[in-house]
Amino acid sequence: MASKTVAKDIITLRGSAAIVSEFFGYAANRFGCWGFFFSVSILYNRGVYPEESFAKVKKYGLPMLLTHDEGVKSFIANLTSQLSEWLEAGKLQRVVLVIMSKSSSEVLERWNFSIQTDGEVVEKGVSREKSDKEIMREIQAIMRQIASSITYLPCLDEPCVFDVLAYTDKDVSVPFTWIESDPKLIANPQMVKLHSFDTKIHKVGTLVSYKNDEWDEE
Amino acid sequence: MILRTPPPKRPRTEPKALEESSPVGSDRQLFIYEDSPVVHVQPPSDHLLCTYQCRQMVKSEFFDALSSAEKQARDYQSKWETLNDSFCKVDSERKKFREQLLFAEQELAAAKGREQALQDQLLKEVNDSSERFKKQIQSYKEIEIKLKDEVNLRKKAESSAASYKEKESNLEGQLSHLSESMKREKLSFQAELAQLKRESKYSLSRKNAEFEKMENRAITAEKELVLLKENMEDLRKHLNECLHQKGEAEKKLATFTFQEPNSSDASLLVKHLQEELRNYEVEVQEARKLKSSYDQTELLREKLLEERNRRDRAESEISKLHELQFSMKALEDELSSWKMLMQTIPDVLSPDDVPAKFASLQKEVLDSMKKLGESNARLKQMEVALDGAQLSKQSAEADAALVRDKSKGIEEEVKQLQLMISMITDERDRLKQLLEDSNCMKSDVAGSGISDGKLLQELQLSLANKECYIKELESTVQMKQEMNNRQREEIKLLGEKLNDEARKIKSLERESDRLRSEISLLESKLGHGDFSTESTKVLRMVNTLAVDSEAKQTIEALRSELQKTKDKLKAVEELNNQSGDTVKSVDSHISETLKQLKEQIATLEKREERYKTVFADRISVFRRACCELFGYKIVMDEHQRPNGIPVTRFTLQSIYAQSDEEKLEFEYESGNVSIVVNGYCSQPDISQQVGIFIHKLNSIPAFTANLTVESFNRRTLS
Repeated sequence: MASKTVAKDIITLRGSAAIVSEFFGYAANRFGCWGFFFSVSILYNRGVYPEESFAKVKKYGLPMLLTHDEGVKSFIANLTSQLSEWLEAGKLQRVVLVIMSKSSSEVLERWNFSIQTDGEVVEKGVSREKSDKEIMREIQAIMRQIASSITYLPCLDEPCVFDVLAYTDKDVSVPFTWIESDPKLIANPQMVKLHSFDTKIHKVGTLVSYKNDEWDEE
Repeated sequence: MILRTPPPKRPRTEPKALEESSPVGSDRQLFIYEDSPVVHVQPPSDHLLCTYQCRQMVKSEFFDALSSAEKQARDYQSKWETLNDSFCKVDSERKKFREQLLFAEQELAAAKGREQALQDQLLKEVNDSSERFKKQIQSYKEIEIKLKDEVNLRKKAESSAASYKEKESNLEGQLSHLSESMKREKLSFQAELAQLKRESKYSLSRKNAEFEKMENRAITAEKELVLLKENMEDLRKHLNECLHQKGEAEKKLATFTFQEPNSSDASLLVKHLQEELRNYEVEVQEARKLKSSYDQTELLREKLLEERNRRDRAESEISKLHELQFSMKALEDELSSWKMLMQTIPDVLSPDDVPAKFASLQKEVLDSMKKLGESNARLKQMEVALDGAQLSKQSAEADAALVRDKSKGIEEEVKQLQLMISMITDERDRLKQLLEDSNCMKSDVAGSGISDGKLLQELQLSLANKECYIKELESTVQMKQEMNNRQREEIKLLGEKLNDEARKIKSLERESDRLRSEISLLESKLGHGDFSTESTKVLRMVNTLAVDSEAKQTIEALRSELQKTKDKLKAVEELNNQSGDTVKSVDSHISETLKQLKEQIATLEKREERYKTVFADRISVFRRACCELFGYKIVMDEHQRPNGIPVTRFTLQSIYAQSDEEKLEFEYESGNVSIVVNGYCSQPDISQQVGIFIHKLNSIPAFTANLTVESFNRRTLS
């Protein structure tokens, strides 16, 4: 009986950033940006964009979503390239996807992706080993959790827009197309911590905080 | 082994011997006591011959003496008989006492055996208890050692916990400061958000107004087109009529060639028609001129609007500069406050050290948490050890209780033995007295009592030895009792120490639970999105989807309008093409003008795109230049007041600001700039400067310049 050897891939900083990027890209449509691995899934599940603007593809053992909206595509493309650059430099601390009301600009949900980078890899360029299957499994778990989050998150009954915030180190130079912003916090939010995934170089933790529904408060 | 009391011995037959040896009777001859028993009878001498009287006197005297002797003998015999009786009695009593002595000896031997057995038991139990106590003492010593180690660890943990408490209190203070600063920042950001909202609303309203203007223009253009169409139709009709008239005139001319009379009328008609044609041509040229002039005016209006918009934007950015200056001042003040804080923080000399200090403090907190975790693990181990010690203590207490009970039983037995011994000693004393009495009696009847005395002496000696042994046992029992008491006291002390340690462990557990709750609160705060402004900044893209979508929507709307106008122009051209030859010249002019207009539109579109890109570049350059020149980052937002009036808000943040809260806010409305009071402006230094420069001297640039100078000085001095 042949024994299967564990496919442990050597993970480099660029590879880890690419993996995490791609996942983020699949949240952002495979445009190779980290941290937004689940963003399209979030936009689809939360109804920020209509269902017909998404197309389903199979990747990593789960049905992934692509958006047809050119605006979203281009936005995420520009975004994810910059985030990848910051990831590789080890300057990115957190990425937050904010869902706001279109009319009142009130923040309704914050999908927080916290990033812990192995400083040794950034400084010395060493590599790490971890199997792709294990990473896929961790990502699948998070995708399922996002899909199941509709059971406890309040309904978004009004038109919403989304924005992306990047928490970086203080010494990062701000590009031309970026500006400093407020963190767009929610007052007295409810928080739900989801699973995390780890490429041995980047560890990504997910947390969703949402505004208390009035019905729940009653 | 306990000996059974032997049956009483049968009395001996000694008195018979004594009786036999002490005959009482008259068979004994009376010997006159002389020195020598042999009586030597000497022949009588002559001079010693006594007469019959003498003989008779001697006989009488002899008989008298005999009778007296006999009487004495009888008396002696009676006395001897009485003495013999008494001796027999004494002898029987002596035998009884001897039997009693033997019984007592047997009982003593049995008691000794019991004592020996009890002593053996006691020894065994004492040995067992001593071994247990030794083991317990060893275990207690080990527990004491462990307790000492744990006490030392606890002291170390307490000291470390105290130090960590201090650090935590310091961190809490810093966190409170951070939270306050974050609150302020939040408020400022909320204010900025409100400003942005208002500005966006204002921009929306403005764009709506522009859109309405465009719509109105389009409507007017349509109306004009309609009018032009009507004019064109009228002209066409006129043309058709003219052509028709021309045709008729030609016909008439042709007929007139055959019919020459009335040629003057035809020529008049032709002239009239030609005049009308000329008039119409003039009118068409005037219409074209009007149209071109109208287009030119429209282009000029658009240019005017664009330049007005540029002017408004520049003015808004200038107003934002003022706000930025305010914010810079606020930031400078906050920087100073943070610097004051920094001075209080040890090992921090410059703002660059603060992140490292925070990182070190965070590491220390993490280390302390690790140590707390380790101490918790050790505490748990201690608890387990304590539980084991308590169990062992309970078992030792149970053993001690058993031993106490046994010792009590042994003491009772000892007491019983002592009572028995006292009883035996009393009996012995009585026996001694009796023996002495009997000895006294025996001294009169010597000989046979000597062996009994020896036996009594031996018994007395054995009794004395037994008494000594009993005393020794009592002393050992007392020593054991004292040892037991000491061990009980030690057990009590250990139990008290264990209770104290248990209380301390509980208090440490409570502290660890409290620390865990605090850590979970901090983690929730971090998860909420709070961050340290000194090590982190939040960025977002300038052109968000909303802004892009709005711009795209406006661009698309404008493009659709352009397309519509183009279609209308094409329709007009087609109509013009369909009109005919007479209008071809007019049409050619119109087509030329249309071509020119199209070219102008194309150039304008290109120019618009160029203007957009140039504007985007220029505005970014302008913003950076404003920041570099005036020292303020300016953010312009459109807001709407509660009464619905749109207002442009400028937020200024100094490049020398020491924190993100140092922001100035200004509102621009129809050429008037006013400062907005926020947290930074409400500080006493800033409010004083606001009062002086803005309210009294009415000069915002002076205020912002003063703030930049002050913040620059602070920065350089720090």
